[in-house]
Amino acid sequence: MYYRQHNYTRWIFVLPALLVVSVLFIYPFLSSIFYSFTNKNLIMPNYSFVGFANYQAVLADPNFWMSFFNSLKWTVLSLVGQVLMGFFLALALNRVKRFKWLYKILLIIPWAFPTIVIAFSWQWILNGVYGYLPNMLVELGLMDIAPNFLSDRTWAFICLVFINIWFGAPMIMVNVLSALQTVPADQYEAAKIDGASAWQIFRYITLPHIKLVVGLLVVLRTIWVFNNFDIIYLITGGGPANATMTLPIYAYDMGWGSKLLGRSSAVTVLLFIFLLTICFIYFAIINRWEKESK
Amino acid sequence: MKKKSTLLGDIISHVFLIITTIVAVFPLVWIFISSVKGKGELTSEPTRFWPKILTLDYFEHVINDLNFIVNIKNSLFISLITTVIAITISAMAAYGIVRFFPKLGSIMSKLLVTTYIFPPILLAIPYSIAMAKVGLTNTTSGLIIVYLSFSVPYAVWLLVGFFQTVPIEIEEAAKIDGANKFTIFFKIVLPLVAPGIVATAIYTFINAWNEFLYALILVNDTSKMTVAVALRSLNGAEILDWGDMMAASVLVVLPSVLFFCFIQNKITSGLSEGSVK
Repeated sequence: MYYRQHNYTRWIFVLPALLVVSVLFIYPFLSSIFYSFTNKNLIMPNYSFVGFANYQAVLADPNFWMSFFNSLKWTVLSLVGQVLMGFFLALALNRVKRFKWLYKILLIIPWAFPTIVIAFSWQWILNGVYGYLPNMLVELGLMDIAPNFLSDRTWAFICLVFINIWFGAPMIMVNVLSALQTVPADQYEAAKIDGASAWQIFRYITLPHIKLVVGLLVVLRTIWVFNNFDIIYLITGGGPANATMTLPIYAYDMGWGSKLLGRSSAVTVLLFIFLLTICFIYFAIINRWEKESK
Repeated sequence: MKKKSTLLGDIISHVFLIITTIVAVFPLVWIFISSVKGKGELTSEPTRFWPKILTLDYFEHVINDLNFIVNIKNSLFISLITTVIAITISAMAAYGIVRFFPKLGSIMSKLLVTTYIFPPILLAIPYSIAMAKVGLTNTTSGLIIVYLSFSVPYAVWLLVGFFQTVPIEIEEAAKIDGANKFTIFFKIVLPLVAPGIVATAIYTFINAWNEFLYALILVNDTSKMTVAVALRSLNGAEILDWGDMMAASVLVVLPSVLFFCFIQNKITSGLSEGSVK
């Protein structure tokens, strides 16, 4: 009854948000697709239609493929690390009683870091000459000379992934923790009386309850990590020698470095199509879980 | 036997938590310490923990000589206005979804998730072209408009969770007393979800405060830059040394961290209660 009465005033509530979302997403999305078929340039005002030339050029560029595989590596490694760390932290926090609040507050601090400060603090800690970590390794006798992590191709990548795990694990932790708290205590009691092992309790009681939250988190984090620009851009800028170049950085360089906005648009459209495919697969899985739990 | 294994589990948990906590907070501690260490100490003894001499020189330099205050003001202004607009629009939308569009609501919230799939770099290109066309490049209003793109969907999403906790009976009682939709919304529902609104507002504020990519692309006039981009442009410049960078970092990270610790419980209840169920 309550819903049916005023049929149009209810639209006033949702209209501004719908308007913002459509203007800020649909318009730029369509124009990106449009620009990807033109030779739009950052400096020149005139541009013309070039068909699939941008896509052909991009797909033929070995740097594009290298960035793509770097993106995959960056996303998978970061995500596995974030989820595992977040998960173990949540389980540990759920178990302890003393200092729980203190751990929780301190552990989420990385999540609050602006990227520029993530970049400065870690560049400072890892600095090859004055940095705490390299010099500490020398002092402890683990290395002869202070290593310069961020200018080594392999180490730079490892450092970035580590920093991303450091940054993202708290978010997973806090969400898994609050999901853990929705598991009814009497189910645990009953399982204990029946003599279930810790693994069985986890597998048959805990996991089904938190599966959906974790699934959704993984989807959101995958998108976020794959799209991430600032952490990599600010710490290594894609270097050394393109070792940490991912698709968003490649697209940025194409657009604002080489001024080729049309070609850059083609990169971002490809990036989007890839993410969309991943999301479809994820959501198919999550929908199945939802049906199973009903 | 059982007791022993739980004790062992507790010890392992504590050890694990202590180690990860140290790793989590070390960068924050380290930039604080570095920002007050005396000149020369930063580079001469890189692994020394406690400073020999305490100084506020770096802070003074950053604030007085680098015009950093202008950038802090820009960031404050942009984040604040973004938050006010985003929260107003989002609170209305979230309430509308919960109360008036119960079926459409689930479609709408899925739509909001899809906005998340749009790569920020994909949106950045058309944003920069459009802003140049309408003359909003290098303006705070241009940035505020663009910031609504990531703040509105997320705020609606969090707020839906909070509005769902309001019992409909209260609203129906008010309706019988003759209150209209807007009175009910502003006078009855909003006060009930005020804590959720505050948490979402702080979260929106922090996200705008921390944003980098759009600020980098849309603003290149130093006097209009946000703190993040201003710091970036100083990095590598001759005048800025590590002490200055650490002092500036402390100024930028401090409000974020303080607010975050304050609201962290509220944000997550939004995700796990509101959106998943």
